[in-house]
Amino acid sequence: MTYVVTDNCRGCRYTECVTVCPVECFHVDDAMTYIDPENCIDCGGCAPACPVGAIEPDYRLAADKKYWIDVNRKRATETPVISARLPALPGADERRRALGR
Amino acid sequence: MARTTVIGACPHDCPDTCSILTTVEDGKAIAVRGNPDHPFTRGRLCVKVNNYEERVYSDKRVLYPLRRVGPKGTRQFQRISWEEALATIASRWTSAIAEHGAQAILPYSYLGTQGIINGLNVGDPLFNKLGATVLERTFCDSGSCTAYMMTIGHTPGVDPESFVHSKYIILWACNTLSTNSHHWPFIEQAKKAGAKLVVIDPVRTRTARLADWHIPIRPGTDAALALAMIHVIIKENLVDRDYVDKYTVGYDELAERASSYTPEFASQETGIPASDIVKLAREYATTPPAVVRIGVAVERHAGGGQTVRAIACLPGLIGAWKHVGGGLLQLPIWAFPVRWDVLMRPDLQPEKMRVLNSWRLGAALTGELGFDPPIKALFVYNANPMAMVTEQGKLERGLEREDLFTVVSEHFLTDTAKYADIVLPATTQLEQKDIMFSWGHLYLSYNNQAIAPLGEAVSNTELFRRLARAMGITDPSFFRSDDEIIEASLDWSSPVLAGITLDDVKAKGYARLNMPAPADWAPHREGNFPTASGKCEFSSTIAGGGNFVVPLFRQGYNGDQDATPVDPLPHYIPPNENPRTAPILAARYPLSLISPKSHAFLNSNYGNLPAQTAQAGEEQAVLLNPDDAAQRGIVAGAPIRVFNDRGAFEAFATVSPDIMPGVVVAPSGYWQRSNRKGATVHVLTPPAFADLGRAPTFSDILVQVSGA
Repeated sequence: MTYVVTDNCRGCRYTECVTVCPVECFHVDDAMTYIDPENCIDCGGCAPACPVGAIEPDYRLAADKKYWIDVNRKRATETPVISARLPALPGADERRRALGR
Repeated sequence: MARTTVIGACPHDCPDTCSILTTVEDGKAIAVRGNPDHPFTRGRLCVKVNNYEERVYSDKRVLYPLRRVGPKGTRQFQRISWEEALATIASRWTSAIAEHGAQAILPYSYLGTQGIINGLNVGDPLFNKLGATVLERTFCDSGSCTAYMMTIGHTPGVDPESFVHSKYIILWACNTLSTNSHHWPFIEQAKKAGAKLVVIDPVRTRTARLADWHIPIRPGTDAALALAMIHVIIKENLVDRDYVDKYTVGYDELAERASSYTPEFASQETGIPASDIVKLAREYATTPPAVVRIGVAVERHAGGGQTVRAIACLPGLIGAWKHVGGGLLQLPIWAFPVRWDVLMRPDLQPEKMRVLNSWRLGAALTGELGFDPPIKALFVYNANPMAMVTEQGKLERGLEREDLFTVVSEHFLTDTAKYADIVLPATTQLEQKDIMFSWGHLYLSYNNQAIAPLGEAVSNTELFRRLARAMGITDPSFFRSDDEIIEASLDWSSPVLAGITLDDVKAKGYARLNMPAPADWAPHREGNFPTASGKCEFSSTIAGGGNFVVPLFRQGYNGDQDATPVDPLPHYIPPNENPRTAPILAARYPLSLISPKSHAFLNSNYGNLPAQTAQAGEEQAVLLNPDDAAQRGIVAGAPIRVFNDRGAFEAFATVSPDIMPGVVVAPSGYWQRSNRKGATVHVLTPPAFADLGRAPTFSDILVQVSGA
């Protein structure tokens, strides 16, 4: 099992998740964060910390979001670890409101 | 829609005792999350508890009293009223007492919930008053506690938060990321500040993978390593002579004892290269502050007690206690001023009690122990022994006895509850209130009740009020309210509670004990050990009284202790079962088996729930080294049989160099139905006790593995 970052992160990237992760399993690119499933200890701290509800445990993902498991796994090997919060992406707050959050 | 947030605390037998926020909407708990304000647990829970509401509302919950209507073990039950359940229990217990005496009744429990009022001791007053058989509960850390007490006394030891100041951290038999995960950020912070992290574990665990140095060790040989470290530290003049002279006793005897435990000897026993043992000893002794965190697993073999004795000598030898972040961390539970006597009520006991050790339940029920009177009535709560206790085959036969009257109070129809004559519905933590100690941090916690009990479930406190009434007890102390018990359960005049009120703890959910801050906590800078001598006892004063189990684990009873003579100096007792000590047995069963905690289960808790079994794997897996698998023609995913003279279970194989050759790993906590052929790993574990405190010897067994 692992927690998984999904599409709501894209375009927001608040990176609140990074501040609660005890094992530095978040990776980042220009668009969003990803969780390294090999390091995730399933503590779940990141899920409620995310302002846009982008993070869920893999077993709870809807069928049309399951592909994010593979995306996270792959991108975690291709992107650097992020260990401190970054500024949110421009337009994040508007997008957050659009998401009803 | 009324939405509220209720502050609670995790009930599980885990060091972390997390602060939990439960969101309640119109009387229903809709979500739980970690409390971000808690300084130790910091807003995180874990894979076991993240979806606790799904445990609460599981359609598998037992919500009403049940009576058995089919053969034992077939899960055929019918709903009855609490009145009928209590009347049946009272009638059966009364007739058992009349016919055989009260010792024919046996309570069986541990820490299915570890709240102070609903946990370890909630049933003790009733069973002490009845004069039932005492259950000696040496499930966890009992050998370690005896050894720790013999060496440095009941000190909280190093504050887990002080680890941020440590420069050399040894996690010894402790998979922090799976079983103590809220401690990790403090270790991580120390690492970032330059500390070296060493993990000693037969398995390359999640934690070992993140260490600077993982030292794989053969199961049950840890004392050889610790004694060789002592040997090197003394031989190479790395001893803190000033500290040893002022604050320890028995140095000369220890030096003489350690002289034979050379790195070469320890290497043969442990499988660790002698040069690594020397390096470990040197680094540990010369990188202050140095700290050792021992896990529960370190006691689970023939010499488990003396292992903890040897490890507990190390900080005194190098003067580690002088530094903040230096010393030993075992169980900081000793810091909490719990009034155990008020909870256990040993004053109610008849002068002479009969004691049964928790690991001998099967042998007691089958009659093998020759008990007179035999056990005729068994009352199980806070425990699932069928899944977790040694000699599972015997236990199954014992629980099938038609003349045994078994009552089980539970959340679910567990492997044990299925044998019950009466099943009683127990509340989960959201449906009850409690006050909590921790054995992994220094915060007192309060669990506010979040929702009304489901169905007719009752808390353990209410259960024992009802049982006392049904048994005709009139002593008003048996009928105190939960609030009254909470108030009475702690010594509020203790300095560590100065400035802390119950109302504060209720409102905030937690309070740090009134002790020095983690940056200032060095309790043994100048000795002050709570031992007979006031010093760290390399040579133990109380060893002269022989082996014992701390009375806290025996309903407060201190009679009929084991009392086997104990060597006052730490020494190495090799495993009962390994290829070096038992070569004839090893010819048939060449592999050592260990059964550590599963990442997703808390002992057998969650072994039946979908989210956690999805994480752990629906079915029991056993990890083998690629060499051992290849020799047996076993490939990953293959069905396998694991067996010894005590029994067999079936599982599927996982294959990885994460485990050293010669050792196989079967994570525990699976229920019988998750194991092919319906037996868990404990069908193989032995009844033998470790040398001290009657700890189990789960990590001291030989098995063979074959394709199934």
